[in-house]
Parts: sequence; C-alpha cells; structure tokens
Amino acid sequence: MTSNALDGARTREWAERFAASVYATEAELTALDQQAGDGDFGANLAAGVGAAALLLDRAADSAGPAEYLGAMATAFLDEVGGTSGPLFGLLFQALSRAAGAGSGLTADALATGAAQGLAAIRRVGDAAPGDKTLVDALAPAAAALRTAQDAPPATALAAAADGAWLGVRETASQAARMGRASYLGERATGVPDPGAVGVALFFASAAGTVRSLAPHLTDG
Amino acid sequence: MARYFENGTGDLVSDALSGFARAHADLVRYDSANGYVTARHTAPGRRVGLLSGGGSGHEPLHAGYVGAGMLDAACPGRIFASPHNRQIFRASLAVAGPEGVLHIVKNYTGDRINFGIAAERLADAGITCSRVLVDDDLATESESIAAGRRGTGATVLLEKVLGAAADTGMGHGRLAELGTALAGRCRTLAAASAAHHSPATGEPAFVLPAGELEYGVGIHGERAARTRDQGQVGDLVEEMTGALLDAVRPGPEESVVVLVNGLGSVTALELYGIFGELGRVLDDRGVRLARQLVGDYVTALDMRGFSLTLMAADEATLNFYDAPVHTPALRW
Repeated sequence: MTSNALDGARTREWAERFAASVYATEAELTALDQQAGDGDFGANLAAGVGAAALLLDRAADSAGPAEYLGAMATAFLDEVGGTSGPLFGLLFQALSRAAGAGSGLTADALATGAAQGLAAIRRVGDAAPGDKTLVDALAPAAAALRTAQDAPPATALAAAADGAWLGVRETASQAARMGRASYLGERATGVPDPGAVGVALFFASAAGTVRSLAPHLTDG
Repeated sequence: MARYFENGTGDLVSDALSGFARAHADLVRYDSANGYVTARHTAPGRRVGLLSGGGSGHEPLHAGYVGAGMLDAACPGRIFASPHNRQIFRASLAVAGPEGVLHIVKNYTGDRINFGIAAERLADAGITCSRVLVDDDLATESESIAAGRRGTGATVLLEKVLGAAADTGMGHGRLAELGTALAGRCRTLAAASAAHHSPATGEPAFVLPAGELEYGVGIHGERAARTRDQGQVGDLVEEMTGALLDAVRPGPEESVVVLVNGLGSVTALELYGIFGELGRVLDDRGVRLARQLVGDYVTALDMRGFSLTLMAADEATLNFYDAPVHTPALRW
C-alpha cells in the first residue's frame, strides 16, 4: 500500500470508530428520531454496527478494505430492520465494490464508491437532496470526495465529513418530504435528520475525532 | 383478542406458513430460515424467475400463487408489513433463471424500498433484476397523492399472465415490458361495510355507522376517501364498474378479464350476486366479458368488503391467461 490509500487495518479501524461513535450517540439519535420518525433509528444503527463487529472479527488477518466494507454491507443489509439501516448497507456495498481487489483504498475509489452508493440509495428511496433524508448528508460528502480525489484519503475524508455535517445542519431547517417525518409536515422542522447524522458520523469516524466535527451533538 | 384462532400474535404468520407448506408439500417448499416459499415444479423453458411478496394477511396472496405456471417464489412479510430485503434477495438467488429474476411489486412505499434494496444487491451480485409495479387502485388516483396508485387485486391477474409468458421462454426485457403494459390495462375499486380486526388488539381498524360503507378502501384497513350509503348492491356495482371502464377503456379488439374478490369476510353468496350485477353492467355497455374469477383471492384479514378488478385483454393475453396453472390457490 502507499500513503495515498487506506489499507485493510485502517479500514477496519474506521469501522470500529464508526461503531464507537454510534454507541456513543445512540441516545441522541433515538431522541432525534423520536421527534421526527418512529424512534428506532438509534437502535437499528447500533444493531448494524454490532452485527458488523461479528463479521469483522471473522475476516482473515490479510483482509483488505473491500472485505471489511463488504462485511459492513452484509451486516447492515441482512441484519437491520426498517429501511434506513439497510440503505446504509447499500453505501457500504458500493464502497466495497469501488475498493476492488486491491489492498489500498484511495480517495478516488472513495469518491467512486460514495457516488455509486448515493445513486443506489436515490434509486431505491426516490429521495432527492432537500427531502430531509440521509441523502442530504451523503450528496455533499460524495461531492467533496470527488473534489478531493487526488488528495490523501485522510484529507478527502475530512472534507467529506465537513460536507456531511453542513448537510446535517441544512436538514434541520427543512420540512420532510420523504419517510415517516413527512407526515409531520412543519412539525419536524428544526430537527436534523437522524439518517443524515448517521452518514456524517460515518465519514467523521474516518476523518478524525467525531466530537470536533460533530458540533451539534456536543452543543449543550 | 380472542377473535383469531392462534397461539399468539407473533406466531400467526410463521404457524400458517408451516401449515401451508405441509398442506401443499407436493407443490411448494418453505425455507423457514430465510422466509420464502418456492415452487417445486417449474417449466424447463423458463428463463426468468418470477418472484413476488408483501405483507401477510392477504391470503391466498402471495404464497398461494407459487407453483407451476405462476410464481417461482414468494416472500411473505409480517401482517401488513413488507418482507425484509434479505428474504427477497435470498429468494431471488434461489430462483433466478439464466436471464435473472423479475419482481412483481405492489405499489406501497415499504415494498418498493425493500424490493429496491434487494434489486441493488442482485445487481451487485451480477444478476439481472427488474420490477413490474402493480398500481391498479383507482381510488388512489389523484394528482395530490405523490406515492401514486396502490397495488391490489390486479396482482393475481398479472402473476397468472406473466407466469404463462415466462413458461414460453420469453426473455427478460419482453417479460418486463409485458408486465408493465398489463399493469396499465388493469384497474381495481374496493368497498367495505366493516373493517378488519387487528390481530394485536382485536379491535376493528375503523367503525362505520350501520347502512354505510367505505368506498375506495385499500387492503390494509386504510379508510377510504369517502363514505356512502350502502344502498342496493346493483347501484353500487354499477357505479364501481362505470368508473373502472372509464379508466381502463377496453379497445375494439379487446375484452375484459374480471376479478370479483372477497376481502375476507364476504360470503360466496354475496360475491356471486356481485358478479351477476357486474356482468349485467358489462352487457348493458356492450363490453365483452372474456374470463372471470369469483372468490377470495387477495384478502385484508377479515374485512367485510369486496374489490372489482377489470383487465383489458387482447387475444395474446387471453391465451396466456388460459394456459395451465397449478398452485395452491389457482388451478386449471
């Protein structure tokens, strides 16, 4: 591997940091979802990273990024109920495919995977940016990765996390048009979309510490 | 609570599927670990696997139509809930033909998303998958309903015709086109004089004053857009059939296939009376009635109601419709 690519061990570390961030924020995610959804998003995301941990443990020592991301995909697609959790699985599946058979995950591959994951999620859920869904965090993250495709992965992922958090902030001012929150109309305004927060946690987990990039989760 | 004969609300579906598989062991196989039913016998020339699914509580939909000449697999969800994408993905892998698999999906958000996720997984696995969306419910046709018309009774007619077409070795693209074209030639309307009862609470989904009915109900106990006097059944069927014909508009070379469907608690006595009225309306309007099904085909637990489905059919469609079928719920 080169310094311009995440190896298997770093990818696994990313997955584990994502799991830790989900556990650390599960109560906040649940509270957000109770205000605008059916309240099970925190638990579903936690179930996903829990199922993923078992599969990560089973991976061979020599596993590359594609295998670790593939394990996350299988866990979220197979073991998580509801709809948001399996949609995360589609993102991980696309990232795994983009990582390919190589031993390193480049910023270019990350950009390709995020774009393809975004496309798959939009095909399935019919959500567009502005509908107050996880797409509002994933679309700017994917765009940032594309802009930073020649940068080292850490730089690209930091930009993706910044983009995702800006998207999360936007969702707080939106009225939902898709998903359960759409039935609440204006009542869900002021609350960020929990799925978007989950996407931001994922990229922030790769980029660095969650808290420095997750201001709205640490405010107050 | 004691309305349903069951061991507990969580067991109703799994107990029923185990019994179903045993009762029809010559026709179907039930994979209880992965949650799907597959056909034991399919035409050797079939190139595309046909798969459907959706919430339980609509028996004999969906598993009842698995078998020779119809579906290769069905994925039942919990009562009135979509199947998980894992069930759909694994069932699709099990029945995919050399040209992949075709999903027949009723238009509900949950079904669309779960079948959609499964389709993305199949694409990732290199298996061709496309979708025929059934959206026949005329009561939900409105510019203000962004989700589009619901999918209901036409599912059975589509599955029958597509099954026969698939048996001829029809390729994936043509099969998907045929299904989409057929879905556009079907419309359904339903009316109910009493709601279904929830297995969880034993309570009815809604309560109507005596002598009134809900006009335009769905198959999950959704209330309709309007309530009307029950009146004479002839007048009711005339209104429903007129609306359906205006929407379907069978062409000069077409006749109609009719499904008079009980939603769970309407007697055969009533359904045949309803069919008689429907036949009279078609005769009055000079519309050729080609084939008919009368009975419980797509139910909503114990709802006291019925639906009428009209499918405009040309000769080729009728030939597919007439082809032999042998499933637990449909046979000729």
